[in-house]
Amino acid sequence: MSASWKQLLFQILLLLVSCRRINTKTPGPTPPPLVPITSLPTDERSASLEGESHTEKVELLNPVNLSLACTWTGNQNKLPNITGFWRKDGDEVENSQVTVQLEGDQYKLKRVFSIVSEESLGSYSCVFGSEEAKIEFVLAAPQIGEVRDKPIVSYVGDSGVIACKMEETKPKPITWNWYKANGTDKIFAVAELLRYEIKNEERKTKLVVHNLTEADGGLYYCGAVYAISTTMSHVELKVISFQEPLKPFIAIVIEVSVLVAAILLYERCQSKKNYTAGNGTIDQTNTMTQGENNEPEESSSVRQRKI
Amino acid sequence: MYVSLCLNRNMSPALANDLGYKPLDGGWGWMVVVGAHISIGFAYSTPKVLSIFFEEIQENLGASYREIAWISSIMLAVMYAGGPVSSVLVSRFGSRPIVILGGLLCGVSMVTASFGNSIVYLYLCIGVIGGCGLSLNLNASLTIISKYFLNKRPLANGLAMAGSPVFLCIMAPVNQYLLQKFGWRGSLFILGGLMLNCCVAGALMRPVVLPRKPSTCAAQKNVEEEPNECNTKQKRSCMNNAKTFLDFTFFKDRGFVIYLIGNILFIFGAYAPIVFLSAYAISQGVEEYSAAYLLSIMGFVDMFVRPGTCLIASSKWIRPRIQYFFGFAMVFNGTCHLLCPLIKSYAFLVTYAVFFGVGFGMVFGLIFECLMDLMGNQRFPSAVGLVTIIECFPMLLGPPAAGLLVDVFGDYKYIFFMCGSVIVAGGVFIFVMNIYNYHMLEKEKPAKVREQNQMTIENQASASA
Repeated sequence: MSASWKQLLFQILLLLVSCRRINTKTPGPTPPPLVPITSLPTDERSASLEGESHTEKVELLNPVNLSLACTWTGNQNKLPNITGFWRKDGDEVENSQVTVQLEGDQYKLKRVFSIVSEESLGSYSCVFGSEEAKIEFVLAAPQIGEVRDKPIVSYVGDSGVIACKMEETKPKPITWNWYKANGTDKIFAVAELLRYEIKNEERKTKLVVHNLTEADGGLYYCGAVYAISTTMSHVELKVISFQEPLKPFIAIVIEVSVLVAAILLYERCQSKKNYTAGNGTIDQTNTMTQGENNEPEESSSVRQRKI
Repeated sequence: MYVSLCLNRNMSPALANDLGYKPLDGGWGWMVVVGAHISIGFAYSTPKVLSIFFEEIQENLGASYREIAWISSIMLAVMYAGGPVSSVLVSRFGSRPIVILGGLLCGVSMVTASFGNSIVYLYLCIGVIGGCGLSLNLNASLTIISKYFLNKRPLANGLAMAGSPVFLCIMAPVNQYLLQKFGWRGSLFILGGLMLNCCVAGALMRPVVLPRKPSTCAAQKNVEEEPNECNTKQKRSCMNNAKTFLDFTFFKDRGFVIYLIGNILFIFGAYAPIVFLSAYAISQGVEEYSAAYLLSIMGFVDMFVRPGTCLIASSKWIRPRIQYFFGFAMVFNGTCHLLCPLIKSYAFLVTYAVFFGVGFGMVFGLIFECLMDLMGNQRFPSAVGLVTIIECFPMLLGPPAAGLLVDVFGDYKYIFFMCGSVIVAGGVFIFVMNIYNYHMLEKEKPAKVREQNQMTIENQASASA
């Protein structure tokens, strides 16, 4: 609990210090730690295209100067020059239109982008000619693969445990955050209240809600925080009262009692019937033919019977 | 009749009726089979279907997978280890009160477990108390079948043992549904209620009213005739009622020892392929749902094969030599496992699952029928108690040993080789040793018949006096 308080304070401090530089259109859940733009590391991604379009997924953890390179083999009429431009999320990037020369039977387009925050992430496409060929790079932080679609069911007064996990194959997040959705908007970070307990491990996080009430039910969002952005996943918590399973249980107990009583009564009726009918009736009763009343020969023949 | 009680050892396969009465072989007996079906069904399927709840319990209580898996292991271990105690109780009180008690114990165990907050609490409630309840159910159900059936006993056994796959197929989706609707606590609570149906099964197990041995003996005593048989019988019955939980005289019985060794080998290799089949299929590139489907196929086939095999076993060609059929069934099962690693495609894996179901069903349909055949109805309750407590060890050691093989070699096929070879060895052992056993029984038979006739003459003389 205290660690996440410290983290929050540090982040708020950073925010205040550099608040002029940030263009906050939509406030992100927790602003990632800021890094001066000039000292970003560089990275390169490239893709080549043979057909008409291709999509490449790029997983980013930290702010980076990303150089994206597209190579196109061209179509039937290989023009010596062709126009190429870049697009981000459907909008054309300013001043990105260039003329591409045909080099060694290929067209190459390359540009460096500064990926610093969540807004920088998204879909970047290089387009050759007038939509003749398009390669799309999808930039995103590591996504949580397994999303639990079935709700976690807990009881009023019990402690509910909700967990989120980042796969082993993906890089581990810096930290985790939890949010509760009231309706469809994310209202508040869950860390404040006393009833909530967050247990963070490297790749796993658990939110324990003590002393559940029916109002605690609903969608909970867990966010894996990376330097570049936070990826979200959700889990549903359903809180039901103790009476819910009690009803089917009582129904089953009644059924069992009725059946047992019926079977025992039937047996009693049958044995009374046999008693009043006389001792000789054999077929209805469960008393077996008594060996001692038979002659010894019959019992010996039973012994030696072969099947 | 009482002569046969003294002569129950080593007679040719217990078509020798040592009950002293002619069993019903039908009528209310079929209702008893229904009761046994339910009871055995819960006994075998519950430890397996509980694993559906494990993941949620694990998350809620913050335990590791290994700690959670112990719940099933403890339950199975207690169920098998409780055999001798259960035998004594059944001999003393009869099947009906014991099955009702077993049902109540199981119900209570699940209901109390639903309020648990620690793993150790679950071990005690589900593992120990639940295991005790199931152990009482199992032993009592098998015993009462042997009391109601003789000619149709294999079929009755097969139908009763078919309860295991039937309940597995029913309880697995029911438990999934309950888990989604009520969470693990509510599911255990309702499962406890469902297990109370074992009490219904117990109510169906009408006690057999036996001809009264002590009164005839008392009459004998009054007449002051040959007291030796009656006294020894009374002494024996006192001993049986007293503290012999484990009757080691069984180990002098050749047929019993052969059966036991074969069974130990079989149980060691029987469960590991089930545990690892899905994982193996996934490693061969099969999708997860299709891999889980393989086990359902196996269970479905098992359901029909058990009574079917026992129907064949009750035919007049097989029944006298049922131990051979049992050995053959084991060899068939083991061969399936040995051939499995050769299979790569999903279609062939489905075929393997079908044959696995057939082999598994054949063996488990016959497993208790063969013991009844060897021991006779009088000694069966104590024998089955002894067998189950001994089988506890290979059953608990088998899957971890297989798991160790996977860890060491990194390939699932070695599990199938190991299990297949162990099961085939068990089957061959039973087959070959029973050739010897039947041969020896044939040799001993003339002596027995002479002894029997002499005793009959003596008793007739004493009875007429």
